[in-house]
Amino acid sequence: MKSKTNRFGIFYLSLFFVILYLPILSVVLYSFNASPSTAKWTGFTLDWYRQLFRDRVIGEAFAISIQVAILTAIFSAVLGTAAAMVSLMVTTKMKQTIQRMMLLPLLVPEVALGVSLLIFFNALKLPFGHLTLVLSHSLFCVPYVYIMVLLRLQEIDRSIIESARDLGATKWQAFYTIILPLIMPSIVTSSLLAIAMSLDDVVISTYMSGPTSTTLPVHIFSMMRVGVTPKVNALCTLILVGTFFIIGLNQYISKISKNRGLSK
Amino acid sequence: MKTLKRNVLAIPFLIWFGLLVGIPLVYVVVLSFMSRDHLGNVVFRFTLENYQKVFDPIYLRVFANSFLLALLTGFITLLIGYPVAYITSQLEPKKRNLAIALFMLPFWISSLLRTYGWVILLGNTGLINNVLLALKIIDKPIPMMYKFSTTLIGTVYMLIPFMIVAIYNSVDKLDRSLLEASYDLGASKVKTFFKIVLPLTIPGIAGGFTLVFTPALGLYFISDLLGGGQTIFLGNLINTLVNRGRNRPLAAAFSVGMILLVTLVISIYGRITKDKGEGLFQ
Repeated sequence: MKSKTNRFGIFYLSLFFVILYLPILSVVLYSFNASPSTAKWTGFTLDWYRQLFRDRVIGEAFAISIQVAILTAIFSAVLGTAAAMVSLMVTTKMKQTIQRMMLLPLLVPEVALGVSLLIFFNALKLPFGHLTLVLSHSLFCVPYVYIMVLLRLQEIDRSIIESARDLGATKWQAFYTIILPLIMPSIVTSSLLAIAMSLDDVVISTYMSGPTSTTLPVHIFSMMRVGVTPKVNALCTLILVGTFFIIGLNQYISKISKNRGLSK
Repeated sequence: MKTLKRNVLAIPFLIWFGLLVGIPLVYVVVLSFMSRDHLGNVVFRFTLENYQKVFDPIYLRVFANSFLLALLTGFITLLIGYPVAYITSQLEPKKRNLAIALFMLPFWISSLLRTYGWVILLGNTGLINNVLLALKIIDKPIPMMYKFSTTLIGTVYMLIPFMIVAIYNSVDKLDRSLLEASYDLGASKVKTFFKIVLPLTIPGIAGGFTLVFTPALGLYFISDLLGGGQTIFLGNLINTLVNRGRNRPLAAAFSVGMILLVTLVISIYGRITKDKGEGLFQ
């Protein structure tokens, strides 16, 4: 059925997208404003970006965020993939348990999750820093890897694995040479998502950061609380560029790996 | 015995989950019943004082604020998002993919940036006031920041992609022949929508509502940046109690309250989707 969407529909959709992107674009726009206030546009400048690169605190926060994001992505990729594999091997009941476990961290409000982890790690006398950040970030990253890898695993044509086993491959050989390459795109794209989510997290990171391990979003939040400065705009714009780079990478990977070796 | 051996493989995940979610949550519940000494340190002595405080009118107000904010966020994202999802599903494939990409993209973009964008737009010297002043529509800036409604704009804006995706998945699965049958039998477009499309997409609406309601309760950076602390919400209160007040037992009691509120919403969602066989928890 071809239904012709009326003009009003198109107008509504366009208006919605304009409003959706207007705040983002205005942040970018004012990062180039020579005036430190948004009251007037006084000309184009790159000064705010220069100031940014000279700011050592931001540089350190950025380095910590990147380290945490990469460690989180690796940890989540391993744990999430293993959980997806395992949930196809255990009993149906256990599979359901694992699935519920994966959903719970996404359903509990982040503040409650952050506070509970803060109180718990405090009681354990665990030093707040990279370790606590990676562990807490894994809570909202592992579930995504798990879901995306599980979906892919369920699409794999079982007969490929059976024929490999018939031809004498061991279980591990079958895993390395057949299953892993097939699920790799899902692992990589969900890891990229994990990096993006870890780099973006404010709420949990506020509780998990140690005195010497402030992440970039936590630092940006404290800058924003003080007030509007074009430096924040410039920083946000750079992060946006980084985000688009990750999205581009993600699109590229899913394009080259589309439907390779799947049953459909 | 063989099934037991198979389930051994799941142990690492049970440990991961137990250490990071299970035990901390239980510990929060325990802590919410603990008292503090005169220095503010936690003492392991049972008390109901924290929960009595939660029911103090001043604090109940905070609960009411948060509940109202989350509820309104749910309804407004539904009202704005439903047409977006529905119209998108009616588009030809090329345009549809573009629209999907456009409403998915914000998921990737920093939530701080997206909140800050509204500070730039709505401030007294912000873009909207600048444009209105320049066009001589107004002669002095309209104050738009630091209100309950400013926070509401922020939460709606932040969470609407969740609502759209949930509804879109539901609308997309609709059996088109049902619509055609309805038209053939003489029903108008409007009648078809309310009698067929809307009832069939209730699970999507409920799912979207759950996905929006939960974060709306706790996104304290939005109310901090846009609401300026004028209205106090649960997230801000818990945050303040933990960081500045050092009253962790009370913060724990509020966290428990928050989780109970979310549990209530999720159980309603479970009820709604139970017989339709397409819930989140299959």
